Amino acid sequence: MKTTMIEVGYPAARFDARSKVSGEEKFAIDYSREAILWAGARRAAMAHAMVRGIDTSRARALPGVHAVLTREDVPGTNRQGIIHKDQPVLAGSRVRHCGEPLALVLAEDRDVLEKALGMIEVDLEPLEAVFDAAEALGADAVRVHESGNLLHKAVIKVGDAGGAFDRCDVVIEDSFEVPGQDHAFLEPQNGLAWQREDGRISMIVSTQAPFRDRFEIAHALGLDPGAIHIVSPCLGGGFGGKDGATVQCLLALGAMRAGGRPVKMVWGREESFNAGYKRHPVRMWYRVGAMRDGTLQCIHCKLIYDTGPYAHLGVEVMALGMEHACGPYRVPNTLVEGWCVHTNNPVSGAMRGFGVCQATFGIESMMDLLASKLGMSRLDIRLKNALRRGDKNGAGITLVNSTGILPCLETLGGHRLFQESEQWKKLAGPYKKRGVGIAATWNAIGYGRGLPDSAIARVELTREGKIRIYSSVSDMGQGNSSAFVQMAGQILTQDASHLEIIQPDTDLAHPSGSSSAGRTTYTFGNALIAACEEMKEKLLHRASLLLMLDEPAGLALLPGIIKHLPSGREIPFDLLGRLFPESDRMAVKQFVMPVARDTLESENEFKLGFPHLLFSYGAHLAYVEVDELTGKTEVKEYLCVTEGGRVINPACFDQQVHGAVVQGLGYGLMEEVLTRQGKILNPNFTNYIIPTSMDVPDITSLCVETEETTGPFGMKGIGEVGMNAPLPAIAGGVEDALGCRINRSPLTAARVLAALDARGVNR
Amino acid sequence: MRDVFLPRSLEKLWTYLDESPGALVFAGGTDLLVKTFNGFPEGEALVCLDRIDELKEICQQGESIWIGACATHSGMVASRLVRNTLPALWKAVGEIGSPPVRNMGTIGGNICTASPAGDTLPPLYAMKAEVEILCREGARRLPIAQFIHGPGATGLQKAEIVSAVRIPKPQGLNLQHFEKVGLRSALACSVASLAALARLSPDRVVEEVSLAWGSVAPTVFTCPQAEETLVGRPLCAASLREAAEIVRHRVRPISDVRADAEYRRTVAGNLLLRLGTLS
Repeated sequence: MKTTMIEVGYPAARFDARSKVSGEEKFAIDYSREAILWAGARRAAMAHAMVRGIDTSRARALPGVHAVLTREDVPGTNRQGIIHKDQPVLAGSRVRHCGEPLALVLAEDRDVLEKALGMIEVDLEPLEAVFDAAEALGADAVRVHESGNLLHKAVIKVGDAGGAFDRCDVVIEDSFEVPGQDHAFLEPQNGLAWQREDGRISMIVSTQAPFRDRFEIAHALGLDPGAIHIVSPCLGGGFGGKDGATVQCLLALGAMRAGGRPVKMVWGREESFNAGYKRHPVRMWYRVGAMRDGTLQCIHCKLIYDTGPYAHLGVEVMALGMEHACGPYRVPNTLVEGWCVHTNNPVSGAMRGFGVCQATFGIESMMDLLASKLGMSRLDIRLKNALRRGDKNGAGITLVNSTGILPCLETLGGHRLFQESEQWKKLAGPYKKRGVGIAATWNAIGYGRGLPDSAIARVELTREGKIRIYSSVSDMGQGNSSAFVQMAGQILTQDASHLEIIQPDTDLAHPSGSSSAGRTTYTFGNALIAACEEMKEKLLHRASLLLMLDEPAGLALLPGIIKHLPSGREIPFDLLGRLFPESDRMAVKQFVMPVARDTLESENEFKLGFPHLLFSYGAHLAYVEVDELTGKTEVKEYLCVTEGGRVINPACFDQQVHGAVVQGLGYGLMEEVLTRQGKILNPNFTNYIIPTSMDVPDITSLCVETEETTGPFGMKGIGEVGMNAPLPAIAGGVEDALGCRINRSPLTAARVLAALDARGVNR
Repeated sequence: MRDVFLPRSLEKLWTYLDESPGALVFAGGTDLLVKTFNGFPEGEALVCLDRIDELKEICQQGESIWIGACATHSGMVASRLVRNTLPALWKAVGEIGSPPVRNMGTIGGNICTASPAGDTLPPLYAMKAEVEILCREGARRLPIAQFIHGPGATGLQKAEIVSAVRIPKPQGLNLQHFEKVGLRSALACSVASLAALARLSPDRVVEEVSLAWGSVAPTVFTCPQAEETLVGRPLCAASLREAAEIVRHRVRPISDVRADAEYRRTVAGNLLLRLGTLS
């Protein structure tokens, strides 16, 4: 294998590319141990019911069944949840969604497991249920919880939105609706757990939050968080869908009752759909006021988030959506109202774009409407209002850090695809209509105020003379561990053969936050830089001892050695590794993300996760072609311009953007969790439609670099921002093509054709 | 436990079928696999036709094209004969499923599954194909429209297999078209489809036309009334609109998770309009 120097800014192949391509890299699902038991959950398949009884006797009697556990067997609170602890590990008295687990079976093999699950006799008394979030807010609506259906109501308020509308030259209003989306990761929720002789529970699990999982499991099962050990190998996709317990509590419960045997749980695809959480369905109403020249004056909007029966991160998702609801624009008067509502639909939770991609559809559609109303170009109205550094955003935060939306929009405007839009549209064939849509977007990075966004990095010189990084943030495919290797290589002047990285293990690495919120590389990277710098200084000082130098002047780190440049003398890393004890061969450093300092009128609306200081930005353009005979909408070309500070690895940067755009195209054109009476009608990839390579156009990814002075090597996270703009860009393109706007996503052929027919298009 | 037989000759096949009269016969297994997800009947033996070479051939026999039942979709995509003489079928098989499904799935399987969404079926109906049915005692032939009775229902008797499909070589046609509407551009089940074959005079008057739709009725839908409306008139938007209206009245689509009946009905008619844009 070719040994490459690892440096920041170079589009090097990912450090782990070889192990991924060759299949050497083990994902959680690849782990097994001797004498495993298979665990499976019996689920309610009814959206709302009282549990009259669960008869497990037949299942227990089946040969090969090790145990059948119900609510009675769960120690502790039986409540899991990240912030709001409200979701039963096993439901005992009441069922609130179809995926609710009622019993856990441990069996010798998967066939016995399936059989036993079918033999559990569940007696449920159906209750009236509520499936519409707006309806659930009614006074006489069915109550999902005794406390009512309103999980949280919040208001973000800046200036005087009420009064400002009167002073506007133009006021427009519209409503929008987006459905749930599935994460559709390749590797379903799964893990392997066993109780050790000392009583501790070890778990290898597909998770985005190994350190936090310990607390979630401990709270639910009445355990000491220190008695839980989590290993988080690379994930076969996460997208937010593994940020919070999925299999974890059930696995730990199983391990406690398995007599020391390892327990493996792997959700099938349908179970992954039915029991995993989804992106929130949201209904939006917007009112926007502006002056004749296009200057935004005020925005009033109402957002209703359907969080299903349990909170998961519903309030935090809504908070972020509300914070972004006015777009990356200067708006002096805003009133953003949000309701996070319980229903008996599937549980909603974290997903890439975390509340923001829903609101982006709302605000960007309004910007298009405003442009039409005022006879302005869609680009000009965005340029006119785009935030600049020093402005206050729609949530009242002063943007003192990198703010790159304006250069993103300018770059888009100067690009060939924008310039040639009109010519391209004219070349539409028979029964084809072409349109071009644009959208501006942004996405906060980090947890926001009230929840310290922290990471602790540990770097070690091994006895063998390698630099080892103990990552404490999971790699779900976004390439953060590769970025960490690049950062360490840059600071310590090492090549690939002298660097290694250990994926998160809560017994080896130091506690850090989750792999999420566009903060993974930013926060851990900052901690890592500090640790590498300390390590560098340490290595030079230790080498100077061995070389009998009074001070480390003239010493340089080179791959695998420390060289005294004036004399040419060298100390190899492995010699240092053998001569110094482990406690001396490591450096450990913490970093905590800075937070916004403004005092806000709305600052007490959320306990945590609001507001944010740092944002990444993007401007997207979609060439859209609609077939008038079928309604099928195709995206023919796509341009995205992204600002995320400086770029650690341009290839990984483009991959993140491409992936986000493809997931966004799916969200815009075809992905929709269909439910009837709370039951998912398309819980598999036969009928839950995600894009294939044939549905994806050429994507041009351009980068606008700024310097984020607080970021590692000047970077910010860009994993999520690209997700938000495709839907509004496509919707804008369809409107441009057909002259009618579709306010309900996704823009399926059937919806587009119905819109065409409603307009009486003459074929 | 279940017996799986992999005969390499017809002789062996008949022996296995004699020994296991209840056996399920399959070819590429792409549809069978899906059935196993929803509780596949236990115990019955499986007999796979996939290794019988004489069922894989594609050749010209007189004025017909003979396609063995075990010819895969990929095999048909690669066949110059199919591509040059049966372009509508060639287009259809190229859009079935995904490359792995096309590598395993066969034309015989597509016919026997008898799904209204089977993508080879509209071209086969439009071309008046005949299904060749074989048993130990001999062969018989049925027009495809008579062979397929309903969704999943065919005229195949016990101990019989479909050995081939025989397609009259299209003569003098200057329009051979297939269009599939799915929920995405690949790996999609057809929501509506149209196969159209026509002979047009130099001034585009329709002399002969044959049309067949997929996914808009319990079996492939044909519409002599629409064909009659088109014959003798120039192929233009006006005549196609008239025919489309007839089609929309006569199709019997269902609503399911992929599309509702109204969409299918509208699109079944609309797809005809495309014919006016083909050169």
